[in-house]
Amino acid sequence: MAGALARIVQGTKSHLGIAGPLVSITSGSVRFQQTESQGKTKYGPLADADRVFTNLYGRHDWRLKGALARGDWYMTKNILEKGTDWIVNELKTSGLRGRGGAGFPTGMKWSFMNKPSDGRPKYLVVNADEGEPGTCKDREIMRHDPHKLIEGCLIAGRAMGAQAAYIYIRGEFYNEASNLQVAIAEAYQAGLIGKNSCGSGYDFDVFVHRGAGAYICGEETALIESIEGKQGKPRLKPPFPADVGLFGCPTTVNNVETIAVSPTICRRGGKWFASFGRTRNSGTKLFNISGHVNTPCTVEEEMSIPLKELIERHAGGVCGGWDNLLAIIPGGSSTPLIPKHVCETVLMDFDGLVAAQTSLGTAAIIVMDKSTDIVKAIARLIMFYKHESCGQCTPCREGVSWMNKMIYRFVEGNASPKEIDMLWEISKQIEGHTICALGDGAAWPVQGLIRHFRPELERRMQTYAMTHGPSKAERLY
Amino acid sequence: MLRQPLTRALALSSSSRIAPLGVRRYAEALAQPEKVEVFIDDKPVYVPPGTTVLQAAAMVGVEIPRFCYHERLAVAGNCRMCLVEVEKSPKPVAACAMPVMKGMRVKTTSDLTKKAREGVMEFLLVNHPLDCPICDQGGECDLQDQSMAFGSDKSRFTDIHFSGKRAVEDKDVGPLIKTIMTRCIHCTRCIRFASEVAGVDDFGTTGRGTDMQVGTYVEKMFLSELSGNIIDLCPVGALTSKPYSFAARPWETRRIDSVDVLDPLGSNIVVATRTNEVLRILPRTNEEINEEWLSDKSRFACDGLKRQRLVTPMVADSRGNLTPVEWEDAIVAAAHAIRDCPPNKLVAIAGELADAESLVALKDLVNRLGGENVCTEQYFPMGGSGTDLRSSYLLNTKIANVEDADFVLLIGTNVRFEAPLLNARIRKAFIHKETDVAYIGPKVDLTYEYTHVGDSASIVKELATGSSNHEVLKRLQSAKRPVVILGADQLKTSEGSALLAFTQELALRLQDKLEDKEWKVLNVLQRTASQVAALDVGYKPGVGAILQDGPKVVYLLGADAGVVTRESLPKDCVVIYQGHHGDVGASIADVVLPGAAYTEKRGTYVNAEGRAQQTLPAVTPPGKAREDWKILRALSEVLGARLPYDTLDEVRHRMAEISPSLVAYGDVQNNNYFAQARVLAQSLQKPVSGKLDVQLKQLEDFFMTDAISRASPTMAKCVQAVLKQKQSPY
Amino acid sequence: MLKAISTATRLSMPTLSRSLPAFSTSSSRFASQDPTTRKEAPKIDTETVIALPAEAKEKQVYESQICVPTKVDLSPISGVPEEHVRCRRVRIYQPPKNAMQSGTNNIHHWEMEFDTRQRWENPLMGWTSTGDPLSNMKLQFTNPDEAIEHCEKNGWVWYLDCPKTEKEFKTKSYGLNFSWNRRTRVSTK
Repeated sequence: MAGALARIVQGTKSHLGIAGPLVSITSGSVRFQQTESQGKTKYGPLADADRVFTNLYGRHDWRLKGALARGDWYMTKNILEKGTDWIVNELKTSGLRGRGGAGFPTGMKWSFMNKPSDGRPKYLVVNADEGEPGTCKDREIMRHDPHKLIEGCLIAGRAMGAQAAYIYIRGEFYNEASNLQVAIAEAYQAGLIGKNSCGSGYDFDVFVHRGAGAYICGEETALIESIEGKQGKPRLKPPFPADVGLFGCPTTVNNVETIAVSPTICRRGGKWFASFGRTRNSGTKLFNISGHVNTPCTVEEEMSIPLKELIERHAGGVCGGWDNLLAIIPGGSSTPLIPKHVCETVLMDFDGLVAAQTSLGTAAIIVMDKSTDIVKAIARLIMFYKHESCGQCTPCREGVSWMNKMIYRFVEGNASPKEIDMLWEISKQIEGHTICALGDGAAWPVQGLIRHFRPELERRMQTYAMTHGPSKAERLY
Repeated sequence: MLRQPLTRALALSSSSRIAPLGVRRYAEALAQPEKVEVFIDDKPVYVPPGTTVLQAAAMVGVEIPRFCYHERLAVAGNCRMCLVEVEKSPKPVAACAMPVMKGMRVKTTSDLTKKAREGVMEFLLVNHPLDCPICDQGGECDLQDQSMAFGSDKSRFTDIHFSGKRAVEDKDVGPLIKTIMTRCIHCTRCIRFASEVAGVDDFGTTGRGTDMQVGTYVEKMFLSELSGNIIDLCPVGALTSKPYSFAARPWETRRIDSVDVLDPLGSNIVVATRTNEVLRILPRTNEEINEEWLSDKSRFACDGLKRQRLVTPMVADSRGNLTPVEWEDAIVAAAHAIRDCPPNKLVAIAGELADAESLVALKDLVNRLGGENVCTEQYFPMGGSGTDLRSSYLLNTKIANVEDADFVLLIGTNVRFEAPLLNARIRKAFIHKETDVAYIGPKVDLTYEYTHVGDSASIVKELATGSSNHEVLKRLQSAKRPVVILGADQLKTSEGSALLAFTQELALRLQDKLEDKEWKVLNVLQRTASQVAALDVGYKPGVGAILQDGPKVVYLLGADAGVVTRESLPKDCVVIYQGHHGDVGASIADVVLPGAAYTEKRGTYVNAEGRAQQTLPAVTPPGKAREDWKILRALSEVLGARLPYDTLDEVRHRMAEISPSLVAYGDVQNNNYFAQARVLAQSLQKPVSGKLDVQLKQLEDFFMTDAISRASPTMAKCVQAVLKQKQSPY
Repeated sequence: MLKAISTATRLSMPTLSRSLPAFSTSSSRFASQDPTTRKEAPKIDTETVIALPAEAKEKQVYESQICVPTKVDLSPISGVPEEHVRCRRVRIYQPPKNAMQSGTNNIHHWEMEFDTRQRWENPLMGWTSTGDPLSNMKLQFTNPDEAIEHCEKNGWVWYLDCPKTEKEFKTKSYGLNFSWNRRTRVSTK
């Protein structure tokens, strides 16, 4: 096994025509950018040399050979041997925040796992249940760069002393699961994972678990339940997964992207990663731009890049020009939309979007131009949440379907203007009262709609009342 | 009365009656674990770490509303009704699942809390049908109560004009539970009860979101002997009692606290009556016996109290047909038969539902006539100490203590159907205390895993003598609090005395080595409610030899188990039956004296632990039926052997003379004569080789075991339904 | 009835002292001790109490012992028919929690009830009828002492009934549902 590993390391060097110099270049540029990042005022575009995902578009070989050529699995053994504290520290330095939506600092999350053992094994769970409408970043990683993820699992596993990683992959991702499985098999055969992974003496297994296509299984505790073979219904917290997680053992659940960037962070240094984006929002990020843009795409960019620039540069601009823009949902379907005037200036990072009363989420940008029926668009999202609510807790089960009923009436205008406030209140009644964040995610789009498009709602109700007479909903008032 | 407000005020300040005492006990038991100070509405309270916010609030008398939380079930945390504000937490937290943290400040009456409750309440009501007027839960519905207390004063569900409310198809889960699933609020209490307490993992949810349904996945009967409890647990009217459906409102019924006699445990019950009719039976909390559960037979067999009743005295006419007569005639006829009979030819046999008062009266009467032949239907070996030492025939460990056991050995008893709530305790220990169970007897489903040691009686001998090399012996020997339970049914065979002797030997060997000197290992599980009292009073267990002498008069006191048949008696033998149901006993009788059932008299019953409890009259006996001891008293008068008591108090005094434990209601004494019993039994340790068999193997055997449940149409339906379910592929 | 009283006297034999405490002359003596330890009422000689002075005198002549009630006893003047004073037993209890409901606010008090007598369905309306004037009397007390005092004042024979409802405090834990090595792990939801 050790021989095989040595061969690979040797082989890597010979293959590293590109990656070799790249590393040396960055070591220089780290210092350069670090000094600049404090006073940095312009974010993006990202230099090709700074891209983590170099095969995002699948133009190169995704299998082990190609991955090695792109620099994956390079010096992994060294990283593993540097130990838990070093890896966690590097992650903390990098300022990497979870890429799944909540944005919890990854280094800190991993450090929670390093409590004294009580005999229970620990697990790493990778959340590859990418179900948020508009989001399509993890699938690109898994089908075109699966080795990044596997290497990330190994490094993250080492950092938290986990015995195994479970990659919970969305059921619909058939090809992605297939590629990932092939890549795992390759990694096992090459001795990169499994017993004595990479020759480091550390045993680590990676399992793929395919889901059955429930959005809620992307919630970390529901995902754990699902792996355990139960219905994907979220658990209450506390206990947090770091205490009682998969099979009752300490567990960390991370997003695919978070895990996949960690090897690069370890190789190129946390400071390099921290040099991108604003403080506390550092790093590079995969952005998915979809909707009414000329060239929808997934692109890796620097954090804090202005939304407008991101769309203009990578997505070919909004259909019909920027002025044709109506609104943008900046972070996947669960985040509140922002109207055009906010889109002009907003920076695509955690803090920038929170300031705009929305959220970065998964950085899945859904662009809607003026041809959009915005109420119907949001109503369709609520229908999605209604369909995907697990039904465990009351506010989400009852509230989201109620919102769905109402907002579909809003689409026609068959409602009372007073119901707008009522809908707002109901969304507030759901938000924060549920077991998991799905309730919040269903409430936010509605809140965004009411916040920015109330006149549109009222206009529709007036129109409806003029043609059909007062709505039946008026009867209660 | 004007006391009402004062009562309330005091009740509030004196807090819940469960928690404070519990805490005290906890504090005594453990060497003061470091307590955490938390503040509930600024009231400080010290609680053990790990306590939930809801429990901490209960300690200071603050009751947090809940639907899904139930103290005897696992925490689910899904109804969100118990949301409370916690200082420094941006979101309200679910009090039922949130463990307290040091210095936590909980606000149960803040605006945030109230708003959260109101919101959850509104959501629950959005899809809850407004059919309270036709709902059986109306008047005792948690949803009604809590919407009054915590809900909004008006509805804003405008969609009622458009799409209306959700409707859900009803499920068929058998003849006991009626489901109206549209009313379900998805608290999952029934699911948790089924999987945790009943051990029948058939309930669950299907579908997601607003389409989520609680059900059995496939149409299936809820095959449990504890199924009725989910009716109680259901906070709304989704699960209601089928036999009781549309029968009465809770405010019309009168509730009488009583004791159940259909199994040997004496579960505490509340009998709900209206117009001299028993409508339903509910469990009453007694931590030492039934917690707050009740077995299906005890709960639903009450309609048997209205059927097959003996309402008038009867005497067989010249053609042998029983004809109704007046009391005088029947008593005189009975007295004639008894007077003409030599005392040694008079046999009195007590049945399984007889109360201690009538047992005493019957024995006194027979003794006054010079006879000695009083016996019970259930056999118990008289070798060794026989029934002289109480410890030989009781559940010495006590029902509640079984929870603390770390190893349970069951010998020839299907506890699940012989004493369902004892089985529920064992299951509780199995789940919560990791107790392991071993079982000797034919394979049965006890709802939990057990080590099946075999079904041969010789295994008991091997275990007792230490010659067994089965791992169960090692487990028993290493156990700190082992429990051995022997089924009384096994003792009726010829090897019974040896089996009992070996069981005593085994239990005593284990007990001698225990550190905990108070712990009792030996248990004999009786099958009937009357047996312990009868043995206490001095009845001979079992009919056996007495009948072979050719009795001239057989006096059956509710003896319906079929141990006496007409064929086994001489032709000229007169059978007098005193009891409440026209069952096996009455069918062979020449004189029938109608007695009172357990809901109709103040009667003493001693349960399998030896705990005396009394039933209270909920209704009056039907027709001309009378309380049993009074019938015997009247008969004694006619016979000229007048019993020296005229009132119930006097009978009880006589009972106290015989054994003080018979009138020590609610108390149970510790028995300590194990060693003596063991010595006396040593000579009986003869080789045993038979196979142990249990009478009640399947659920269908459970429902109809005594005169009352055999007369109950509901129980008959249950048997049918179970048999039908067996045909189903699921 | 005299027999009953004499029986009661015999009941206070040492063997029974645990379950049937000796006579009491005043309720106040129990204020300090836990009333639940008392299981049975002291028997009041209602015969003596309600007897006319002439009868009482007559009795005195025939009986060597003189029985002087020292208790406050309202029964001679309360107007309650004699049969409802002498023949009734009062049960003093705490109402049990309704198994169908989770609320407990209505059970933190003590009540008294009389033994059940016959009830029947009224043929006119189908309502329940009874010949028992006391059966619908519902009194609530904050503690058993008050109830006992009330019963003694009225000359009713009482007994206390208190099943054990306190249970050992056990902390509930949501985490146990997912425990890795315990049987409390839940399978379904």
